[in-house]
Amino acid sequence: MIQLFSSILDSLRLLLTPLRDLILAVVPMEWIASLPAITLVVFSLIAVVVGLRFNPLGLSFIGVILATLEMLIFDPSVYGTSFGGLFVRGAFADFFIYIILMVAVLVLMSATIYGGSEGTYNFLLLMSFAGAIWVVMATDLVALFIAWELMSTPTYVLAALGKHKGAVDGAVKYFVMGLLSTMLMVFGISLVYGVTGETSLAQLASTVGTVYVAPLGEAAFPLTLAMILFVIAFGFKIGIFPGWMWVPDTYATADGSVVAYLAGATKKTGISALVRILMVGFILAKVGEGLPVWSMMIVVVSILTMIIGNVLALAQRDIMRMFAYSSIAMMGYLFIGVAAATQLGAAAAMFHAFTHALMKTGAFILIWAMSLKLAKSITYDDLAGLSKRAPAIAAMLSLLMLALAGMPLTAGFWSKLILFQSAVEVGMWWLAFIGLLNSVFSLGYYLRVLRYCYMVEPIDSSQLRLARVPLLAVIFCVVAVIALFILPGAVLDYAFEAAAALLGL
Amino acid sequence: MQLDFAVNFIDALGINPLFLLIVLPLVGAVLAAIVRGRGARIIALLVTGFELLYSIILALAMDPAAQVDANGGVFGWGFEMGRLGVGESAPVLQILLGVDGLSIVMAILSNLVVFIAALSSNHINKEQGSYYALFLLLETGLLGVFLSFDLISFFVFWELVLIPMFFIIGQWGEEGCEHAAVKFFIYTHLGSAAMLVGFFALFFLGGNTFNMVVLKGLSLAPLVQIGFALAVFMGAGVKLPVWPLHNWLPWAHVKAPTPGSVILAGILLKMGGYTFIRLGLWLVPAAMARLAIPFALLAIFTCIYAAFTALAQTDLKSMVAYTSINHMAWVLLGVAVAAGAIGSPEFAGVASFAIMGAVFMMFSHGTIISVMFIMAGQLKYAAGTREIPDVKGLMAGAPRMSMVLILASFAAFGLPGFSGFIAEALVLFGSVRIYIWASLIALGVFLTVGYLLWTLNRIVFSDPVEERPVTEAPWSDLIAPILMMLPVLLLGFWPDLILDYIEPIVNVILGVVP
Repeated sequence: MIQLFSSILDSLRLLLTPLRDLILAVVPMEWIASLPAITLVVFSLIAVVVGLRFNPLGLSFIGVILATLEMLIFDPSVYGTSFGGLFVRGAFADFFIYIILMVAVLVLMSATIYGGSEGTYNFLLLMSFAGAIWVVMATDLVALFIAWELMSTPTYVLAALGKHKGAVDGAVKYFVMGLLSTMLMVFGISLVYGVTGETSLAQLASTVGTVYVAPLGEAAFPLTLAMILFVIAFGFKIGIFPGWMWVPDTYATADGSVVAYLAGATKKTGISALVRILMVGFILAKVGEGLPVWSMMIVVVSILTMIIGNVLALAQRDIMRMFAYSSIAMMGYLFIGVAAATQLGAAAAMFHAFTHALMKTGAFILIWAMSLKLAKSITYDDLAGLSKRAPAIAAMLSLLMLALAGMPLTAGFWSKLILFQSAVEVGMWWLAFIGLLNSVFSLGYYLRVLRYCYMVEPIDSSQLRLARVPLLAVIFCVVAVIALFILPGAVLDYAFEAAAALLGL
Repeated sequence: MQLDFAVNFIDALGINPLFLLIVLPLVGAVLAAIVRGRGARIIALLVTGFELLYSIILALAMDPAAQVDANGGVFGWGFEMGRLGVGESAPVLQILLGVDGLSIVMAILSNLVVFIAALSSNHINKEQGSYYALFLLLETGLLGVFLSFDLISFFVFWELVLIPMFFIIGQWGEEGCEHAAVKFFIYTHLGSAAMLVGFFALFFLGGNTFNMVVLKGLSLAPLVQIGFALAVFMGAGVKLPVWPLHNWLPWAHVKAPTPGSVILAGILLKMGGYTFIRLGLWLVPAAMARLAIPFALLAIFTCIYAAFTALAQTDLKSMVAYTSINHMAWVLLGVAVAAGAIGSPEFAGVASFAIMGAVFMMFSHGTIISVMFIMAGQLKYAAGTREIPDVKGLMAGAPRMSMVLILASFAAFGLPGFSGFIAEALVLFGSVRIYIWASLIALGVFLTVGYLLWTLNRIVFSDPVEERPVTEAPWSDLIAPILMMLPVLLLGFWPDLILDYIEPIVNVILGVVP
């Protein structure tokens, strides 16, 4: 699979050599790796100006596509570092950047039905995309912090711009908890700096190796505290225990495109940041052989997150809220892979991040388009008899639900399978079993969607038609989910390569 | 039994036969979904009919004695979906199909049952397009389970079966079917979850491979084997079903539409039995040997328990559902006693009876119970109800239907001359020699004869009542059950048709060199 893609990539690079030479002539070498993010920043500023008179959405599309092209034509092994090595491209960062760019396109497609015509809306979205790209590229804690703020701040505003009357409430909750988590992050960084005198993750790793030797010295305790703080701070954005409370409120009230972005992309940046910190910075945080000290902590977080997500999702009537809780549960599964702390585990987590981005972005956009059409929040009753009112939409929604439930014919099957396998690899078969039980439990609400779509008679039997462009985004997600079932290798190979690069194998 | 014309036919098509078997229903499913209406029914009948013929031809073209190797054997077909790592040495996630004597017997059974079920779907008038599409998707899943020789491939198809079945039960079933569909899905998924953990454990402890043939060749530690066997018990035990994992079955069978019940009882339960043999006896014989006595006890208890429960049912369909549980316990008993005899050469002969009896039971039960379910469904049209006490004088009002019902009931309780008798006799011969107390299961036979005859007495041979008229079923409704009775009678007289295919693999399991 990799061979096929790399030969396509090579011919693309050959084709675009003039463009590359042009860029190389104009842009300083130092900036090349960060160029996709810089492009997005530039286009976000253009969007504000253009948005005063015209609809800037087309320009935003061009910006995102240009950023993707820049990703493709510059080989990270040659043009990998920028800003003095603060932001670095590599197999690991690229994997997540492509997720972000993919979600970005889908979100802009969904924004055609609401908000996309505003200059500010485009400005905030693009600025946040740029921040997200920098977050996954950051290899230094301070750089990470700045990029994190650049990504988060626009989303606080975006969440408040929703149509729902509770949007501001949801956004405030998101904002307050976001501030709290940022503070904890700064505290964690200062602890790390205080103990080691380093903020670069690579150098931190070697210091950690000298601190965690039996018997544990005093320096180990602040470092462990910093680790806990990082899990809480980044976990807030990912929506895992203990920082999950804002997720349902914000997801249920914010505008659907923003929710798709939050669930599809910003969650993934949190994962990449946390995985990078834990698996690069703190991988040696262990005494003797075995798993690092943070592994057990992640296990606890993962189990609690799965259970909270699944139990509360079962109790919801509102589909958006149900999806929000299901996202929480999904992140719980993902952290099983992180807890394993092996190449298989990291690759499984990354593959799950990719498939989750596809499944949830598609699902959120679909429900958002429906909710705009019907001018209300969608509950199960609105889905009744959907198979008669709109057969194609019902089929796509059901496929996405089956994907989330991890059934075959969808990529969700592989991502769950590999995650659970990674837990068994390090001897935590009980964790895999808990995950599987949760997965069975989650059928309770996924099957309910199927039941309403197909087995309940509709209240209103008129045909339901949704806007074209968002539907196109959903179709892309569904097709990709099925294609990745048949050939998971297309993404899995890259996930393994990225995991190997991350762990320095 | 390699017939030239069959070999030539397979060669002439030029496509890998197993690939064709799996993919043709998928193509048919897409076509049926596009065409809709009556056209979908015709496509489904053509595809399932061809599949049945083709699997029989494949059986005639293959050598039953040939065992599957790591690449799937003579007709093997593999498709690599991805790798768990970078490089050539990384373990693969793949679909790996192969065929041996046991697989082909089960494949023929599933094609037969699906064909008959499609034939008996003539009362389905709602959304035929998606109905037949799901039907064909189901056929792919079933065949995949029986032909897979890789644990991941096996699991993919195993789970795939759930999706179409869920919709068939839930969308075309009777009142209350949504609940039954959800229950069916969650119950079986729970069993598969436990089984999956077992697969992973075997993967890591058994040399990083999911390939069943390679895993079989390794000599694994006994504790690993036992853990795996227990995990398989959870997965297969729910499907079979074994007490106390059987609770989903009466719900799903009763609420499903008639063709759905036919498939559920006729072939879905056999997935459990097949798994016990393939992943239990065949893959980890040593573990099964240690678990033989508990499994045998469970089987006997399940058989008698289900027979008593069936006795108390008033709905004919639900009675037939419990008869299924009752009969599938024989399969587990055959497997368990044969496992108990592994390692003692003096019992090899009778042990091979037990396994062959188990497989034969699956085939014969698959055919007989399909007829019973179709007749139970027919009763609803003929008498307006399926409640046994409410139907009177079927013989007087509907002689054709009565004949089929009587024959099927006789076959079900194992009258000599029908295939059910051979199956029960083989299992019983095997069990009493190995565990004398296993003959207790004969109590189950006794009860089954009792309640089936009692039922016939009440609905068929009772005096007609004016207020409850019975109408005769049209021939078009009786084609499917009558066709299905043919293999029952044929195998009753010529059991070697199937036993010849199973014998080589039974010898492999028992370590007997023929």
